[in-house]
Amino acid sequence: MRSSSRALAAVAVAAAVATGAAACSSGSSSSSSNATSSSSSAASGSSSSAPTASLTMWVDTTGPSPANTALQDLAKSFDQSHPGDNINVQLIPDAQIKTKLQTAMGAGNEPQMFWTWGGGPLQSFIKAGKVTSLGTTESAPYLKQFLPSTLGAVTVNGQVYGVPVEGTQPVYFFYNKKVFSQNNLTFPKTFKDLLSDVATLKSKGVIPISLGEADQWPGLMYIEYLADRIGGPSVASALQSGTAGAWSNPAITQALTDIQALVKAGAFGTNYNSTHFNGQSDALVYSGKAAMQLMGDWDISSIEGTDPSFVTSGNLGMAPFPSVEGGSGDPADLAGNTASYESISTNVTPAQKAVAEEFLSTMITSPDYTAAEVKAGEVPAVSGASSLFTGNLAEFDTTIYNSVQSAPNFQYSWDQALPPAQATPMLSNLQQIFNLKETPAQFVAAMNAVK
Amino acid sequence: MTAHVSARDAVGTSTTAVPLRRQRGGGSGLPSGKGGGLADILGVGPPVVLFLLFIVVPMIVAIALSFTTWNGVGNPTWAGLSNWSKFFGDPTAHSSIWITIQIVVLSYVIQTPISIGLGLFTAGKQRYRTVYATIFVLPLLLSTAGIALMWESFLDPTFGALVPFFSQSWLSDPNSQLYALILIIAWQFIPFHTLLYAVGRRQVPAVLYEAARIDGAGPVQMFWKVTLPQLRYTFVTSGILMVTGSLTYFDIIYIMTKNTPGTQNLSLDMYVTAFSATEFGYSSVLAVVLGVVGIAVAVGLVRFSGFGRMQSQQEGVN
Repeated sequence: MRSSSRALAAVAVAAAVATGAAACSSGSSSSSSNATSSSSSAASGSSSSAPTASLTMWVDTTGPSPANTALQDLAKSFDQSHPGDNINVQLIPDAQIKTKLQTAMGAGNEPQMFWTWGGGPLQSFIKAGKVTSLGTTESAPYLKQFLPSTLGAVTVNGQVYGVPVEGTQPVYFFYNKKVFSQNNLTFPKTFKDLLSDVATLKSKGVIPISLGEADQWPGLMYIEYLADRIGGPSVASALQSGTAGAWSNPAITQALTDIQALVKAGAFGTNYNSTHFNGQSDALVYSGKAAMQLMGDWDISSIEGTDPSFVTSGNLGMAPFPSVEGGSGDPADLAGNTASYESISTNVTPAQKAVAEEFLSTMITSPDYTAAEVKAGEVPAVSGASSLFTGNLAEFDTTIYNSVQSAPNFQYSWDQALPPAQATPMLSNLQQIFNLKETPAQFVAAMNAVK
Repeated sequence: MTAHVSARDAVGTSTTAVPLRRQRGGGSGLPSGKGGGLADILGVGPPVVLFLLFIVVPMIVAIALSFTTWNGVGNPTWAGLSNWSKFFGDPTAHSSIWITIQIVVLSYVIQTPISIGLGLFTAGKQRYRTVYATIFVLPLLLSTAGIALMWESFLDPTFGALVPFFSQSWLSDPNSQLYALILIIAWQFIPFHTLLYAVGRRQVPAVLYEAARIDGAGPVQMFWKVTLPQLRYTFVTSGILMVTGSLTYFDIIYIMTKNTPGTQNLSLDMYVTAFSATEFGYSSVLAVVLGVVGIAVAVGLVRFSGFGRMQSQQEGVN
């Protein structure tokens, strides 16, 4: 009797030790107890004006940034000009925001306004009835003030579910002009030229392309651009709409083969797999150890933040992704994050919804906020901003702004555009491609197997 | 499941385990007679309720979720056995199971001898050994995140401290990354197990060594015939903690190599499937597998190692 009860106790202890992890995975829905929805919609002044409300807005942050401050200031000035209303901006660290939102949505305590990059994750919230539609561009004319290519990521069946609150972020090659001129090279216009420049740079002891593959997402930009240059916009749109066998498109296989051709040519050096974007892959470029980097336009302010003289002395070059010989894609096509958005959840009272819509429709598009965004180093997703670019970065900003306006297609980053169930294995399989541990055919088979 | 929790438990068991005596004769331990009194219920109730609430209920929910498709938002939909049949054909899951086995076996094989060696060394009474003991135990003071970030920047092949001497991508080369991680995990946990062995060695009565010496035993014979047998229960305690801890290990791998395919063990696979791919149904399958294997291993170790029958070997000595 005693020994059996002791064995039982031992089992209990063992179970406690061993199942801690299992318990974690399922029961963790209530981790974020944000005191939201203090719906003080009781109109305090009993005046005849619109009912007032307080609401919470989640904003992504990668650390204190001028863009965050601009949005916080905007919310403050909204509170002042709308007595009784209160928009409480909560900055959520970038590394947590997706998990935190997913958990909050699951537990039904999501904030009234939430941050999103649109695409697959937003669509899964829309499907679950968690997002309030803002209407169509016809029913809500203020939406026409945004650059049309930036609304695609938040539009489902013509209904728009979010508003771009921070700048548009297309991807370009950023390069060290000095390294190129020292080796008598100009930036390559075609993929073939890129390969030959890679060979030259490698022979001179320079890492041709800096790549922060330790973060996995930087490698994604290569397949996005190559697939578009080779097969045109339909390659990515088939992936997004979940067409059966979309990964079997020959353009994808070709893009993966081209990536491995770059790897085999030594384009990324040998340490790309343990290099991070934050601080590291940039440093290789401005220190001259590497010649170029494919990166979102945030790279300009990122480099300017660590080595301002590199930018001001005119050493930073920017160029579109080269075209691919025989490819059907337009070389003016862009890839990247079309914008970052705020959406209104369905966890709102009618008064809160009205306040949120008022904020999105009048404040975000206001010239003051657009100017503040430009000052914070962003390229706003609003039309008519070209005259605002001044200072050191004006040339970059104008080029970016114009290329976004004139791009025949602005392809949305695949890790955001695809549903999370596909994006996660895609990133790790792609890393295997860069490691030469997987063939293009194995990649395609693995991705087709993900439902 | 963090290693810290099990480590803290271990301190409790290791200090109480050795003096625990088998109860001889009837009824001296538990209050006999009436049974089921209000005091008993009050005493046992809270731990039982907590155990049910935080261990049993989540486990049952995980089993239930493993038969559904759920992305964490909205309602789970019934999926029958599809998640389970996916598990048996999923190369990612199979690779994470193989990586988990490697981590468990290698961690045990690497950490145990080193911990015994360092433990016996630091158990000595000489003052310089106390100084060494202090140095050896230092990693215990560091947080896991700190350890991971420190080693990551130390080993960085481009910017790391070792670059002037050699540049090798230990953590990203698919051929070395798993072993580099296992060594870093060993670096983190060896101090704790060293401590266990040092304490165990110090509790071996000097009489035994004197007796052995009188019988003509040399230092080697004393190690094999006195020290090791006397450390038997320390060995078991440390082994159970190592195996259960490394089976569900997560932190350093998550911080240093994320979901790199070459280092993704089962608990990381479970986390990524749930919170990155938002497939809570399938991730529950992985959780159930991990939970069942973990319980089986822990129960097996407890039963067959004699942990459950632990008793003092010092009877007649003190």
